Amino acid sequence: MNQRALPRWVFIVVTAAAVLWMIPVVWMLSLSLQPNELLSRTTANTFLGLVPVPFTLDNFRAILSIGDTPRWFMNSMIVAGTSTFLVLATSTLAGYAFARIRFTGRSIVYPLILAGLMVPEQVVFIPLYVMFADWDAHNSLPTLALPRVALPIGVFLMTQFFKDIPDSLEEAARLEGCGHARIFWSIMLPLATPMMMTLAIITFLYSWNDYLWPLVSAQRTDFFTITVGLAKIQGNFAQSQGLGQLMASGVLASLPVIILFLMFQKHILRGIALSTDK
Amino acid sequence: MRLTSFLQSDNFSGWAFILPYLIAFVPLLLWPFIQGFWMSLHEWNLLAVTFNPAAKEFIGLGNYVRLMGGDDIGWSLQPMWSFRLVVSALVVALYVRSVRRRALGYSHHLMAGLTLFTTVILLGLTGDWYDSRFWIVVRNTLVFVAWVVPVTTTIALLLAIALNREGRWAATLRSVFFFSQILSVTVVTLIWQLVYGVRNGFIANVLAPFGIDSPNWLTDDQLAMGAIVAATVWWSVGFALILFLAGLQQIPGERLEAATLDGAEGWRKIVQIIVPSIIRTVQFVMIMQIVLHFQVFGQSQLMTQGGPGDATNVWVRYIYQTAFRDSEVGYASAMATVLFAFMMIFSLIQFWVTKRQES
Repeated sequence: MNQRALPRWVFIVVTAAAVLWMIPVVWMLSLSLQPNELLSRTTANTFLGLVPVPFTLDNFRAILSIGDTPRWFMNSMIVAGTSTFLVLATSTLAGYAFARIRFTGRSIVYPLILAGLMVPEQVVFIPLYVMFADWDAHNSLPTLALPRVALPIGVFLMTQFFKDIPDSLEEAARLEGCGHARIFWSIMLPLATPMMMTLAIITFLYSWNDYLWPLVSAQRTDFFTITVGLAKIQGNFAQSQGLGQLMASGVLASLPVIILFLMFQKHILRGIALSTDK
Repeated sequence: MRLTSFLQSDNFSGWAFILPYLIAFVPLLLWPFIQGFWMSLHEWNLLAVTFNPAAKEFIGLGNYVRLMGGDDIGWSLQPMWSFRLVVSALVVALYVRSVRRRALGYSHHLMAGLTLFTTVILLGLTGDWYDSRFWIVVRNTLVFVAWVVPVTTTIALLLAIALNREGRWAATLRSVFFFSQILSVTVVTLIWQLVYGVRNGFIANVLAPFGIDSPNWLTDDQLAMGAIVAATVWWSVGFALILFLAGLQQIPGERLEAATLDGAEGWRKIVQIIVPSIIRTVQFVMIMQIVLHFQVFGQSQLMTQGGPGDATNVWVRYIYQTAFRDSEVGYASAMATVLFAFMMIFSLIQFWVTKRQES
């Protein structure tokens, strides 16, 4: 880290930029806390609208009691939760095998999976759509959750992690005659917990924010995730009737990721740094 | 007995451990990838095939010809001549200079070659294209990437240098700049549509007391792309910032101190010491962003619906429209395959860059 003091003008410029950077989010939050009737007249009531005066929680009450928002929120929770759980389960197992078991075919399968890192969602979403349509499986929560489990990033991260664990930890168990299942369960998993935490958080984050797949797969509003639902209600944006509620939906849609951010910022940063470190 | 020893063998364990993942990987990534290419070789209408599975027709590379072909194809110096001249002159000058200093690797030759090929040959092609809209969205996507990547990189690099220090101020500001990164694309577009609003947008509110009318950011064909770029930069600076901060941590403190003792300060220190020290990270972050932003979709879909006209329509949105509005999934798959090939080139460059970094 650089210990020298910054020139004063740099300090001022960067601080000002940070304040500017926060304005859009602060404004959204503030508008969601102002009465709708006021917002249909002006969005700049107190200090450019950045301070929620007059203050009300009616917008949140309204979106939580009527409309689809609570349902979309729950859908997102179930979808992101399921894919996170499945990613963790499949990629810790596979990562352990690729890193620490010598088996025939490993040198073919692992590179194939790594090559999958280069295939973005945008390239496979049409065949995926056609496939699930053949199975008549659209408009269901498993269909929304499953494609994410196939993404190789978790396997890649866990393999890298297990490769770095020294052999000595494993040898003692091996001499006592433990099999791979036993070593994995009682030695490796406890060691991997922090890494799994990181993987879980970034998977949840990306899954929660996913837009393209739920957009094409979920046609019925019942099965929208909050990300897609929010996109839908942005459509009738022109009339600022309900602007407060729209903003409240935006805040609600961001709430889980904001909580994750506040609690686990370190994990998120580490996840990003590691997942790009090929 | 034989069964037990088989069950304890490494071969069995290995495959048993990777099986759960393969159950997801093979049908949900590997197969769709192959299937996508297969579909791109067919005249395949989603609705027709739903009612009659035999309604697809194998047409070989027909979709690719329709996508990229044209009649009376020729080449001329004229289209965008000033832009092409400036860019190719710049590339040649940089290239010659670096060849003299022997500072080049494979990836540089490739990038110089690609840029020259694009500016001199590709941009000079003229003809009656079968699908002129495709070239419009390709150009828009390139323009989008050409703005977002350098701007994001510059802002993130400068911020990283300023915020690479201990203390509460730097820690708080790092969080502030990173925060927007975690929002979903629909929240980002929701916020920015409102910021750009003509009547009650934030910019309009700021301009109102001065008696200035806010321009119609998202429906003016001169401004719409810029507006989307600005929102995207706001959204994605955090990502680059994190990677640059990680890169800066690798620079040995002595090198910075030595430079400071030699009297290198401010800009000179940044340009002569810091940037060369993390040039690999810079390359890496830029390529990463190029690949990422080629896939732009939500901003265009939600903020401008590709408009006005096709001014902000982008590649993935055109794929989406072709597949799900026009039901032409065969043709859309051909577009997706070309997009993949395009991103593949950059992934390979990235691979080379990383390889060289390690050796």
